[in-house]
Amino acid sequence: MDTAFRKIDIDVYDEDVLQEEELFDADPREPAQVLSDAKQRQVAVRSALAKSDVLGALNIVLENAPYGPNVEEAKTVNLSTLLNILNTTKSADIPNVIKGLSQDGQDTLMKYLYKGMALPGGGDINWSILLGWHEKLTEVAGTGCIVRTMTDRRTV
Amino acid sequence: MSNVLRPYLAAVRSTLTAALTLENFSSQVVERHNKPEVEVGGSKEVLLTPLTISRNENERVLIEPSVNSIRLSIKIKQADEIERILCHKFTRFMMQRAENFIVLRRKPVQGYDISFLITNTHSETMLKHKIVDFIIQFMEDVDREISEMKLSLNARARIVAESYLTAFNS
Repeated sequence: MDTAFRKIDIDVYDEDVLQEEELFDADPREPAQVLSDAKQRQVAVRSALAKSDVLGALNIVLENAPYGPNVEEAKTVNLSTLLNILNTTKSADIPNVIKGLSQDGQDTLMKYLYKGMALPGGGDINWSILLGWHEKLTEVAGTGCIVRTMTDRRTV
Repeated sequence: MSNVLRPYLAAVRSTLTAALTLENFSSQVVERHNKPEVEVGGSKEVLLTPLTISRNENERVLIEPSVNSIRLSIKIKQADEIERILCHKFTRFMMQRAENFIVLRRKPVQGYDISFLITNTHSETMLKHKIVDFIIQFMEDVDREISEMKLSLNARARIVAESYLTAFNS
């Protein structure tokens, strides 16, 4: 007797089943526009870093960070821009930079730190720098920042 | 504790403390069932974003939080073939006795060496900071344990080889 029907997940066909995209509000921008935004920001960040304005560069990259599906390329661009900032910052400056960020900025930074650590490696990822930033950020923003990273569905 | 290890364990500690906010939550799919949601994965809204903390590509911790349970998986450092075998034997030994460790999972998550499953029952019957301490202590000890075993294994192999080869020395 065919028993394959037992494996069918019938809950998927329920009419009020929760969809993945209902969990958060989608980004109103088009994917192509998000990507061009991310590339523009990369240039802006470079000029800010040239003036050694780390806080300004971080604010640029953390504001309106790309999230949600279909914008993988923009996310990668934004992540590499951010890692560039993190790698060039002197460790003595980190606490003051973090204190200058808004709460949303701190939360987004935490998301990026976890994203950077989750990557398999290679490229310009330096784990000890990421861990150093994580420690300083947790000192300033507390455990609540990590909880907001976990519960926010708008993954960067 | 070495200087490199400290920020890694501090990150695991703060993430675990943040993730260990569990409550009793019955299954939304089957009535009168109560299962760890992170294992069932039946409803998306109660699963939270999984977080990874890595020290390098061979040592990382994956924390998968959900509303009533969290799963913590550890990838232990394995530099060479001997360490790989020792780590496998060591984790296997403990996972076969998982009920004595209460929070230990019988099988590791894919890609990791050992997993813990902490449910709301555990966080209610035990002290939360003690659970966190236990995990951190475990992570500290497991590296030391494996390198000690490797040293004693090498020493033993040397003695065996010496006493075996003296037979041909006449």
